[in-house]
Amino acid sequence: MRKLSLMLLLVALLTGVMALNAQDVVTLEFWGGWTGPDGAIMQQLVDRYNAEHPGVQVNLTVQAWSPLFDAFIAAASAGESPDIMAMHPQETAMFINLGLIEPVDDIVAASEVFQKDAYVSKAWELQFYNGQMWALPFDLGIHGLYYNLDLFEAAGIEAPPTNAEEFLAAARLLTVDAAGKHPGDEGFDPANIVQYAINMHTNHHGFYQWYALYNQLGGQLLNEDATACAMDIDKAVQAWQWLQDLVYVHYAAPQGQTDYARDFITGRTAMLVDGPWQIPAMIAAEAEGLRWATAPYPTIFDKAAVWGSGHNFTLPTFADPTKRDEALAFVEWLAANSFDWLASGQLPIRNDLIASEEFKELPGRQAFVDMLPNQVLLPNIPKFSEIFASNAPTPMMVMGQRIILEKADIRTEVQNACDAITAILSIP
Amino acid sequence: MRILPRTAESGSYAALAGLAPKRRPSLTPYYFILPYLVFFVLFRLGPSLAGLGIAFTNWQAVGTPRFVGFANFEAMARDPRLGDAFQNTVFFVLLTVPTLIVLSLALALFLNQPRRGRAVGRVVVFMPYVIMSTVVGVLWTWILDKDFGLLNVYLNFFGIANVPWLVSESTAMYGIILTTVWWTVGYDMVLFLAGLQDIPHELYEAARIDGARAWGVFRFVTLPLLAPTTFLVLMLTIINSFQVFDQVYVMTSGGPGTATLTLVQYIYTTSFQFQKFGYGSAVALILFGILVIVAFFQIRGYRRGLKGVE
Repeated sequence: MRKLSLMLLLVALLTGVMALNAQDVVTLEFWGGWTGPDGAIMQQLVDRYNAEHPGVQVNLTVQAWSPLFDAFIAAASAGESPDIMAMHPQETAMFINLGLIEPVDDIVAASEVFQKDAYVSKAWELQFYNGQMWALPFDLGIHGLYYNLDLFEAAGIEAPPTNAEEFLAAARLLTVDAAGKHPGDEGFDPANIVQYAINMHTNHHGFYQWYALYNQLGGQLLNEDATACAMDIDKAVQAWQWLQDLVYVHYAAPQGQTDYARDFITGRTAMLVDGPWQIPAMIAAEAEGLRWATAPYPTIFDKAAVWGSGHNFTLPTFADPTKRDEALAFVEWLAANSFDWLASGQLPIRNDLIASEEFKELPGRQAFVDMLPNQVLLPNIPKFSEIFASNAPTPMMVMGQRIILEKADIRTEVQNACDAITAILSIP
Repeated sequence: MRILPRTAESGSYAALAGLAPKRRPSLTPYYFILPYLVFFVLFRLGPSLAGLGIAFTNWQAVGTPRFVGFANFEAMARDPRLGDAFQNTVFFVLLTVPTLIVLSLALALFLNQPRRGRAVGRVVVFMPYVIMSTVVGVLWTWILDKDFGLLNVYLNFFGIANVPWLVSESTAMYGIILTTVWWTVGYDMVLFLAGLQDIPHELYEAARIDGARAWGVFRFVTLPLLAPTTFLVLMLTIINSFQVFDQVYVMTSGGPGTATLTLVQYIYTTSFQFQKFGYGSAVALILFGILVIVAFFQIRGYRRGLKGVE
């Protein structure tokens, strides 16, 4: 009996302590899709925040973006939401349309951290939709050109290519078969290439690259009110042709490639088009003897344009309104401490950071930052997923994979994609 | 000749029940299945019934569903992707089911022999089945990698050039089928093993005394007596194959192009990724209809098969 009462007392005590704690500590749920090494960096930031702010406990939930968004929608249908939801600028319209996120104009007006002048203007503008600001900017990421210094030196190329002519010349020298011959040489054997000039994305980054090249030609994807496909078919074909020819005509890129970063690190390809998030992997590969550098994404056609995206923070409609202040304080802290986030490779968007000495010392970033003004994002529209989702048979994915993997007729695929897009957008 | 021994199906339990003293049916057994039943009702039956209603609405998971009558079903006729998904799924079923049945039966026969190491053999064949589907998907994405995959390394050994497996429309579905067979063959094998062990030894002895050879024994003793198990395995395999999703989602997301897009993948994509839950539910209802028809014919065939055996 005495044992029992002792137990009861203990339980009562524990419950009391827990209840006290629950009252004191505000718990914030924070969701993001950083499944790579960047997830660990974000966790470190969160841990630091929790340590410095005993009254707040931020719980970071990480899973891949697509299932994360599915969970976000499913939770909202039950009237629940995380307190802070990370996403990409081109995806906000989808969630605005569903009523899942709230505008942040008032918050920004009162914030000392989120001030327009403190940011790269492009990064700021991307957070707007229909005249209202919906998200708090955090970083940007764009395609750039990684190149292998040893392979460039061996081929006698002094500088990374900046235009189509230079690119094709370099590509020829960097593509080598087992006998050491280049494409165009007498007896060159395309079936036995040991070194390719560059990677070729067979995933969604394939159509991202196409989108950049199509923009370099001045092309437009959708009409002004985003109700139909407005592709200039000739320009769309021209942009795809460049990419397809790199594989099937110039033999400069491998067919059916799957692991772009690995192929670059092992020297299978001499160049790599990818985002700045590969920088940590490149730094790590220096231990294996990789010597690398970055250059801006080349301007193949008329004007500079490069695919880009970024991360931002949104405040969900179904989050607990009483935690709004704490959520905002945390996001402001993240923005103010975003230098630590740069270890993930992502690009800074705060002017003071970009101008700082410590940023200039970080390897590989400058070429990316220089291209930021030329970044093009996919259209931010409510039906974004249906047209652009990377893990579904969307019109863009089908078009890209058929052209790059199957060597399909480009004009047919472009026309099919355009018709499919119009069909999707015509349904209200 | 009547070769089917009396089993539960032929009514021996019913006879036993008749002997037992009559008493009120006990609730106890239901307590045992209660935990499962709760989950079944909450996460299977409930959502299924809800889906039946959602199929006739326009619903984005948030907000109020709007009744649209048969609009979702009419839209299916104009949806080329659905046609792709249907075609791919039927292709997958037609190739996977016979392969699984034949292979699992062969493995069961082989591992039913009293031989050294058969326990290890059974474990090895069954083991993949306990691995989570996502792990299987990631594992086989590596095995099937065009440039560095283990399978192509072996094929190179036999002088076969790299097969593009998951990065070509013409081979991607075979990659998925291969993965599925490796993953699930053990389950079918275990069912067959159970069936084989139910066949009385005397029948084999009698057949051999009558002069039957191995094939004759298999054809006239094993196969007919295994019929109930075969029907069960066939039914489960067909239903599971029609619902193929996990491997596809992890390995190809339905690509390249639409080469491996299957019905359940399409239901998931339209519902959760495109927030068209009404349309997704309507497609799910069609798949449900297909499965009911398949099950109907199979149960009929099963009953006839049993009668034929008797």
